[in-house]
Amino acid sequence: MIKISGLTKSYGTNTSEVRAVDDAYLDVKQGEFILILGRSGSGKSTFLGMLAGLIRPTKGVVRFGGVDISNLSEDKIADLRAKKIGFVFQFSGLIPTITALENVMLPTLFCRDGPGCRSRAVDLLKKVGMSDRAEAYPRTLSSGEMKRVAIARALINEPPLLIADEPTGDLDVDTEYEIMELFRQLNREGTTIVMVTHNPDLVPYATRTYGMNRGKLAEHTGSGAFRTGMKGQTVHQESMDLP
Amino acid sequence: MTPLAEFGFFRLLQRNLTNRSYRNIAAIFAYAIIAATLFSSQFLINGAQQSLDAGISRMGADILVVPEEYAAAGQNVILIGQPNSFFFEDLGFEKISRIPGVAKASPQIYIATLFASCCAAPVQMIAIDQENDFTVSPWLKNNPGVTMGKDDIIIGSSIVQIVGNDLMFYGHTFHVVGVLERTGMGIDNSVFTRFEDAYVMADESELKAVKKLTIPPGMVSAVLVKVDPGASPAEVAREIREQVPGTKTITPNGLLNAVSGQIGAVTRILYGATVAVTIVAIPLLGFISAMVAHERMREVSILRALGAKKAFVIRLMLAESFTLAIFGGIIGITAAGCFLVFFQDFIAFTLKIPFIIPSFQTVLVDGVSTLLLSIGIGGVSSLYPAILITRSEPYETIRKGES
Repeated sequence: MIKISGLTKSYGTNTSEVRAVDDAYLDVKQGEFILILGRSGSGKSTFLGMLAGLIRPTKGVVRFGGVDISNLSEDKIADLRAKKIGFVFQFSGLIPTITALENVMLPTLFCRDGPGCRSRAVDLLKKVGMSDRAEAYPRTLSSGEMKRVAIARALINEPPLLIADEPTGDLDVDTEYEIMELFRQLNREGTTIVMVTHNPDLVPYATRTYGMNRGKLAEHTGSGAFRTGMKGQTVHQESMDLP
Repeated sequence: MTPLAEFGFFRLLQRNLTNRSYRNIAAIFAYAIIAATLFSSQFLINGAQQSLDAGISRMGADILVVPEEYAAAGQNVILIGQPNSFFFEDLGFEKISRIPGVAKASPQIYIATLFASCCAAPVQMIAIDQENDFTVSPWLKNNPGVTMGKDDIIIGSSIVQIVGNDLMFYGHTFHVVGVLERTGMGIDNSVFTRFEDAYVMADESELKAVKKLTIPPGMVSAVLVKVDPGASPAEVAREIREQVPGTKTITPNGLLNAVSGQIGAVTRILYGATVAVTIVAIPLLGFISAMVAHERMREVSILRALGAKKAFVIRLMLAESFTLAIFGGIIGITAAGCFLVFFQDFIAFTLKIPFIIPSFQTVLVDGVSTLLLSIGIGGVSSLYPAILITRSEPYETIRKGES
């Protein structure tokens, strides 16, 4: 479904270059739940931004369904995001001037041939347990409720891929559990999920786990070992400096 | 759950406008001020010009001949109805009538009344020679059934009386038989009577009035001249000045120039104010738009992360700006229009210009052009911030907002 190879994002000049993401490789298959674990500043959000086409990579390729999105025009990437990718941010990212239901329907404006319609939005709010707050404005919702609405919004265009950037970062333990159970349910129903987090307690939800440290992405192979880069070099968990 | 409307671009637009009321009210207020200033300028200029056209048409004259030293007073009688009394030898009338190119000449006597029962201030009484008149006669022809007999008067529209009422000037009682249509010029504040009645009123005034009125025998105040078809009013006027020394001629063009001078000063102030307001408003509105754009950077980034193209974001921001400009423009135009209509007499008096409400078509053109300018200002002031906001890195902005 997604094939990432040699993905690099560097900032700064030639003399003082900082590699936020350094030569990352990742294959995501349909129906997987990929968790990327890393400390703050490890480069995981930049990686996610490039995966979604929101950040242009300095080097490397992101293939989505065989199409290299790194070279697509901004409009085509926007189309791809609207149709194929659902996005859940750390904080809800709801638009404050519209209701919960309207927030859920919002992505249908950018996906004319999508399934976007009010009845689907209502169904999604029901699915995330928010049907009774459909007409509420974001400022009146709790963090957990906002996150649920954001998840419903991410699903409105029936995207095959759901990207979540620290979706439980601002939630208490109980709400975090509820939200993760929701992600698990969505994954079981066939939605592919790529999630970044700094919380190692979420690892059990994933089908595969990656670690990220100083821009380097490495797959957790079990027993405290990580495999990194194209050549699959194995490193120990201690050297990954994971949370 | 109550039924909800389908969600589309315009719904998002409406929500963004109604749920950000404070900054939107500020923007609407700025647009309203621009629109009101511009609309007022156009309204006043067109009102003055149409008033002048109507007044000149009512006078029916191509040339007005007045004593040289009373040229300004004569002009004020016609333009704003400022009451005045002045006379010159009637011999002038006889000479004027015989000048080549003069088709018709009609003498008039101008009398400034004392305070009268009808009015808060003295009014201009104009005595006409019914035999030669072409100012009131056409109106009488168009109003069959109205005749102007002994002690009958026809009044201008600004004199608040109705047909059938009696009015007293210099102790003499007159009977109102007609009210002229509004012209916005001096005629509106004038009372038309016959020569014969004016002389009787003057004769009786010594006994009946607090102040004696003297109309020197054989003298008139002005002679209105209609030229032959094809004759040049300017040429005939020059001939009159040469043949009747001590006279001054006033033509509609001359009146227009005089009024243009007065209107011009007002117009310059109004246009100056409009330009100043616009010059201040564009950067001000641009600043408001830029502030709003900065404030909404994260929101716009979220829209883009959800799949919105740059064009959608620009369209949304421009549409918001245009909507505010339209609302502000309509409010400004309506407020200015109401003010100008309610205070038209005060405005005309203060600015010393003839003024009537312009025709519906003129007001429509003024309103639409003002509205278009407001929309243009809205577009100019919000386009750059809208473009700027789409240049930001959406994911960086979202992340910054979250940290």
